[in-house]
Parts: sequence; C-alpha cells; structure tokens
Amino acid sequence: MIESRVKIVNKAGLHTRPAATIVKLASKYKSEFFISKDGLHINGKSIIGVMTLAAEMGSELLLTFEGIDEQQMNDEISGYIRGGFDEL
Amino acid sequence: MIIIDKNAISRTASIDVKFFYNNAKSRFKLTLHSDETGFSREIKDQNVHRPGLALAGFVELFSYERVQIFGNTEITYLKNLSVEKRLKSLHKIFEFNIPCIILTDGNQPFPEMVDLAIKQHVPLFSSPLLTTKLTYLISDFLDDQFAPRASIHGSFVDVYGVGILFIGKSGVGKSEVALDLIERGHRLVGDDVIILTKKGEGILIGAGTSLVKHFMEIRGLGILDIQKMFGVRAIRQQKRLEVICELEVWSDGSTYTRTGLDETLEKILDVEIPYVKLPIIPGKNITVISEVIALHYLLKHNGYDAAEVFKNRLERAILNKSKENSERGVNYFEHDFE
Repeated sequence: MIESRVKIVNKAGLHTRPAATIVKLASKYKSEFFISKDGLHINGKSIIGVMTLAAEMGSELLLTFEGIDEQQMNDEISGYIRGGFDEL
Repeated sequence: MIIIDKNAISRTASIDVKFFYNNAKSRFKLTLHSDETGFSREIKDQNVHRPGLALAGFVELFSYERVQIFGNTEITYLKNLSVEKRLKSLHKIFEFNIPCIILTDGNQPFPEMVDLAIKQHVPLFSSPLLTTKLTYLISDFLDDQFAPRASIHGSFVDVYGVGILFIGKSGVGKSEVALDLIERGHRLVGDDVIILTKKGEGILIGAGTSLVKHFMEIRGLGILDIQKMFGVRAIRQQKRLEVICELEVWSDGSTYTRTGLDETLEKILDVEIPYVKLPIIPGKNITVISEVIALHYLLKHNGYDAAEVFKNRLERAILNKSKENSERGVNYFEHDFE
C-alpha cells in the first residue's frame, strides 16, 4: 500500500472537471484508490465521491493506493494533483 | 469482508454555541437574553451540568465545560439571596470558561445576571421546558453531535423498511442495483458516500452527505437527480442500517453460505450488523434477491428463521427413522389433473 499526502494548489479547488479527470485516470488502473479528508473516506474511482470532498485550495488530501499497479497509479494521480490539474 | 478505514472514522471534538443555538432554538424553545458576542464559545461535552453546589461556593470538581442548566433549585436559591450575595455567587461561576447557561421551566434571569452575562460574553438562554425534559433533549442532541461517525463507500436503500447497505468494488453495480430497487418502489437514502453515525448502543443511522443528498452517478449516463426524477416517494433522509450486502464478481475461490444457519456479522463502530455476501453471476437478479434479503430479515425479526425450521424438520425425520421423507409430498393426487 502506498500513502501520499497532496495539497490542492488550484484557486478553484478540486472542482468538477479535475474530479472527472482523477476518476478517469484512476479507472485505468486495477489497484484500489481511496482519498481521505476531514473524516471522509471516499473511493477515488467514484465521481460523486471525489466531488463530495469539495476540496478547496490549500486543503490536504491523503491518497491511498493498494494493488498490483499502485506505484504507477500513485505517480500519475499524485502528479496530476500536485501539478495543479494542468490548469496552472 | 469490509474494513472501515481508520481515516474514515471521525468524531466531532466540539461545537460552538452558535451552531447549538441555531439548531436548538426552535427544538428547545430557547430565548436569548444576552447578546451574540459569546457565540464562539465551545461545547465539548455531551452531558449537561446543574451548578447548584458551585453557586453555593463549592467549585472543586465543578464541571464548567458542560452546558449549565439552572433549574428551579438554582433559581430559588439565588432568589433567596440579597442582590449583593447573588452577584458574588454568580461571579464564581462566570470566572470559569463555561459554554453557556440555560434557565429552564420558564424561569427568567435576574437583571444583574443578564448584565453579567453580557459583560463576560457568556450566552444566556431560557426555555419554558421542564428541567428533566430539557436535560434529556439536550443530552440527546449533544450525544448525536459527538457520536462517532464513519464514512463508507456504498449505496444505501430502504427495502420494505429494512436498511440495506450495498458495498463492493467500484464498478460492480451498486448504484445500478439501487436504481433498480427505486424503480420497484423502494427508497434511496444515499449513494456513493454514506455517513454512518452511532446512535446509542447498537444502532447505526446512515445518511448521504449534505452536498450529494440524492444525486447518483450511473456509468455511461452521468449524474442523475433521483428526487427530481422519481419524486419524493423514492427517497428518504436517514435510515437505520440493518443489513450489509457485499456484491462481488463470482470467483471459484470464494465461499458463500448455503444453509444460512450461521449468521455472519460485520462490526462497524463496535456495532454488529448482519452481513451477506452475494456473488454476481449472469442471469442473477440482484434486485429481487435484495428484496428477498429484506423479507428474510423481517421474518427473522418476527421470530421465523427458515433455516432453523428446516433444520428441525430434518432432525425430527432422522429421529423418527421414517422412510417417507424421500416420498412424494402428496400421498394421493385424487382426481386432480390440473
């Protein structure tokens, strides 16, 4: 299992479009992927779940990956969030 | 088996008086006598306190961090004091960092008490409710606020009044089963992110999140609003969790219960909930099986356990050494050719 802590760097926060992209990226992989924030623990492959976080700029997410391709999955998704959803 | 992740469990550490007042004023018929300057004070304990002894001067072990309830005892005691002594007595309590004061049973605060409350920024309320009733109501409200909560990924549906939570891997079809059940007249509590709250001992109440409520995603369609689509009959706001149903793609390695004699229980927040694992195979109608799970639960709840009854029939037959067991169920088809 891999755990990563990432910070939302975008002004608009984790809004609909990047949420959809995260889910799309996650669905490519076989590993389980969960995101935790403020007592919420949601499945990263579910769009409603990711949007439920309503993560604003500056908020911190704990990502957990577990499965055969967890390393690549972590690299791509953590990179996408840290990189500001390719919006910066 | 499901695991509630440690990150999924949370507990509110404190609520401020503002939140308490906004949620409680109509429920407990509260009237504010001071101003709102003390509304940022925090309540950290679900119990309330009657400060009789503290008013009399004994402040050792004074549970100041609790909501302070002034009932008839406290008010009568203060009434019998001179204004000077009364102020002195109240001062002792106001020295502590108390969250707020509530007068019960229609008692009104003394003018000097209101002045002191405003000066010290301590919210002062009164309520017409009786002390015992108000104490019970506030404890229940605070108990709920400070109760442990767990967020879980799944779909929660009320099926014939039985709260069934569908869990399983992403994409296994939980939302589709929920949608199918709604179409058949059952009610959706929440989809995707369910917050379970421990209520008392042995009870879990589930609800969707305030953001998502009754929205749902169906793969290939996108986000749907179930309440708009099916109307108010298709939803409910909260439901007791009674059965957990895990959906999984059928695999040779897994074993599934065949007799149902041994009930499997799953522990969430120390509450044991009946747990069923359902394999998904082609041609299997999970919706109908879900309805049967609910009916089975209701029968069991009413004292009828089919597996147990069948077991007893078998035991009796073995005991009687009867040869009729493998015989036809009807002895003679008398002129019945239907």
